[in-house]
Amino acid sequence: MTGRVQNMREFRKVRTFGGGAFILLLAIMVMLSGCNNSQKTTEAEKTSAKTSNQEIRTIKHEMGETEMKDTPKKIVTLELSFVDSLNALGIKPIGISDDNKKEMITKLVGQEMDYTSVGTREQPNLEVISSLQPDLIIADAERHKGIYKDLQQIAPTIVLKSRESTYQENLDSFKTIAKAVNQEDAAAKRLSEHEKTIKELKSKLTVDSNMTVLPAVVRDTSFQAHTSSSYDGELLERMGLKNAIQQELPHAEMNLEQLVEIDPDVLLLANNEGKLLTDEWKDNPLWKELKAVKNGQVYSVDRDLWTRYRGVVSAEAIAKDTLKMLGEE
Amino acid sequence: MKVLCTAIAGAVLLILGILTSISVGASDIDASMVLKSFFEADSSKEQTIIRTLRLPRALVGALVGANLAVAGALMQAITRNSLASPQVFGVNAGASFFIVSAFVFFPNLSSVSLVCVAFIGAAMGGMAVYSFASGGGMTQVKLALAGMAVHFFLSSLTQGMIIFNEQAKDVLYWLVGSINGKTWAHVNMILPWSLFGLLVAAMFSRSVSILVLGENMAQGLGQRVYRIRILAGILVIILAGSSVAVAGPVGFVGLIIPHIVRRLVGGDYRRIIPFSALFGALLLVYADILARFIAYPFESPVGIVTAMIGAPFFLYLAKRGRNIKQ
Repeated sequence: MTGRVQNMREFRKVRTFGGGAFILLLAIMVMLSGCNNSQKTTEAEKTSAKTSNQEIRTIKHEMGETEMKDTPKKIVTLELSFVDSLNALGIKPIGISDDNKKEMITKLVGQEMDYTSVGTREQPNLEVISSLQPDLIIADAERHKGIYKDLQQIAPTIVLKSRESTYQENLDSFKTIAKAVNQEDAAAKRLSEHEKTIKELKSKLTVDSNMTVLPAVVRDTSFQAHTSSSYDGELLERMGLKNAIQQELPHAEMNLEQLVEIDPDVLLLANNEGKLLTDEWKDNPLWKELKAVKNGQVYSVDRDLWTRYRGVVSAEAIAKDTLKMLGEE
Repeated sequence: MKVLCTAIAGAVLLILGILTSISVGASDIDASMVLKSFFEADSSKEQTIIRTLRLPRALVGALVGANLAVAGALMQAITRNSLASPQVFGVNAGASFFIVSAFVFFPNLSSVSLVCVAFIGAAMGGMAVYSFASGGGMTQVKLALAGMAVHFFLSSLTQGMIIFNEQAKDVLYWLVGSINGKTWAHVNMILPWSLFGLLVAAMFSRSVSILVLGENMAQGLGQRVYRIRILAGILVIILAGSSVAVAGPVGFVGLIIPHIVRRLVGGDYRRIIPFSALFGALLLVYADILARFIAYPFESPVGIVTAMIGAPFFLYLAKRGRNIKQ
């Protein structure tokens, strides 16, 4: 009998201890969410539609059609490539989802720029966007499909491929943006300039046509190859550089064995911040046997420029980078 | 006799599985080369792949499988509940949450401290579920509900962290449970914990067996129920925590294997524990081979395969439990 009582007591001890653990978890959660909740909340306001007698432009995009009057002045962009596109047309957005990293935008535009951060690209803050009273929102087809309706309530919204876009799709998006901001002529001029620039850089690049390149993003636990269908992969193909992985899917997670099997001539590694999987691989004798390693053809490239920005201006910078790395020595 | 046959069959299948695991992969290596690499080592590319990549990976698979299966068996004994497993009990989710937090806030942690972080998380997740489910007698339904609630709560925290940190996106693949690309460093990370956990579990298997008879009976037989429970709980945390730290939360192994083993060798934990280790290793090694073919030539996380096998099994167990009660 006493045994049972004692047992009950101990049982209760476990329960209260477990309850304590749960409360501790809750406390941790509150702390964590506190870290991320620095954005100010503002009363949602609807923009008053300006009435004007200018002609109406219909912009076709990934989620339908949006009608635009006038030339939009206050633009909010929810992906980095749209900032690049507007930058190419000399337009400054008033709101950018910059993942709360201002320096990333400064690097993209090439100078300090005044704008309001509207949160992360993954979860832009609708209240902040609405408080800016924009007259155009440019959103990504993959990330922002779910909030398209909400964005439309705030301002005319166009949804374009950016995040998972190919190089060609990115150029198409550029044209659509140009139409939305009423700058079609300037965009056409800029595009032909762009094509010329890429062609010029390509002609300066003399490489063996059998040579294979593999751009990849390296993080602490993964090595993600960018294939011939990825943005940077396709751009490199345009420059006459054959991607080591020819396939329809833009990305491929790889381990060292697969890399050894594919054995590209050139590795272009966009390294993440912090620990890297390749540091581990470097200790393996197989790494030293890679053609790219043996011939000193492993380059590290800027992660933001090569894999995040995507746009007319950025593509030219990537192409220049490539020429610098692989051009005649 | 039947037990001996099962042991031999299991061991042979495990060895075959490891050999197959070593010979299947992105580059073509035939079986004779695999055998040769054990007796005549050279520094050819094939043998280097076998020695530095495929063998450690197969071993990590076997260790993680053994760990999770024994952890599951112990949990089913402590709770006397056939649905208990590291996953249902929030142990995996707790360890995952803590590891993802560590990734985000302390990205340069050493692998040893990562294992410790996983232990703390595993303990917290497990105790939270235990405290919710045990009030007024632990029934199957209460355990399942409390387990799922805590599991989803912790998963949502983990997901939230990933959404707010582009940096943590990387963890998504790991979160399904994967032994792709594991090296000797990972073997070293998990091996001491595995050996310790599995040996101690085997040593105390007799006491664990008595625990299953019920508290009163166990006390009558002179067992200190509370102490055994605590010890088994610590073993679960070590076994499951070290597995999650290395391979991510691979699901369902700890649930399925003890049931299969009970069918094969009976309800005595002196047999269930070593056999769970053997068959857990077996399941994960074969599941990992299958995982390589889902999106060949690219790798899929092994957790997808165990979930595909495990989810129907879980439903089967839940249904059978209801029928017995009626």
